[in-house]
Amino acid sequence: MTKACKTLVIQNKLGLHARAATKLAQLTQSFKSEITVQQGEQCVNAASVMCLMLLASQQGKSVEVCAEGDDAEDALVAVSELFEDRFEENE
Amino acid sequence: MQISELLSPDCTKCAVEGASKKRLLETISQIVAPKLSGITRHDIFESLINRERLGSTGIGLGIAIPHGRLAKASHPVAVLLTLDEPIEFDAIDNQPVDIIFALLVPESEHENHLQTLAAVARRMNDKDCTRALRNADTDNALYQLFIGEGEDKPCN
Repeated sequence: MTKACKTLVIQNKLGLHARAATKLAQLTQSFKSEITVQQGEQCVNAASVMCLMLLASQQGKSVEVCAEGDDAEDALVAVSELFEDRFEENE
Repeated sequence: MQISELLSPDCTKCAVEGASKKRLLETISQIVAPKLSGITRHDIFESLINRERLGSTGIGLGIAIPHGRLAKASHPVAVLLTLDEPIEFDAIDNQPVDIIFALLVPESEHENHLQTLAAVARRMNDKDCTRALRNADTDNALYQLFIGEGEDKPCN
């Protein structure tokens, strides 16, 4: 089992709102690895939209994303891209 | 912002006949329209349906959070419904939904919106809370539960 972590910054204007959280959860569910998102003390399962929304992550917030499993490296690359791509939002 | 500032007793209804996703969004629009001056039922429905077209707001575990932004809204308005029978909602886990928290918000206020979503998620993520919501048999009982009252305060 591989574990990989990376600090990512929420870049989109609206933050981790419902649609962004849904995209992250769907991406997470497409990998075998367990993916978690930690913001401060709170660490949540990225496969759950509900849990991701608990974070109320605004634009500019840093979160620590960890993937653990056989495809952890690939999962982390894909999640990083989604963050970089501002969750496919324009701003 | 507290949930009790967004949700009023007359926007909380239990055992609603859901029928279909479209029908449900119409019901929500009908409930919200009188709360927002200068905004019609049609404006609200369009806002909700346009958001669903971007991806379902069925967030899993039988819960949906349809929402929309309205340029002319002076304040946010929430609606809480439980359904008599679960309906298909194209949810992320493909499960039908029977608890609906709808939210109509003014165009700006991104941070408030995130805080509201977190407050809703905190309740919906708690099995004791969702069980109690599903079992609520009057509109008022449902309202009291969601704002954090009721016996044992399961949603507090």
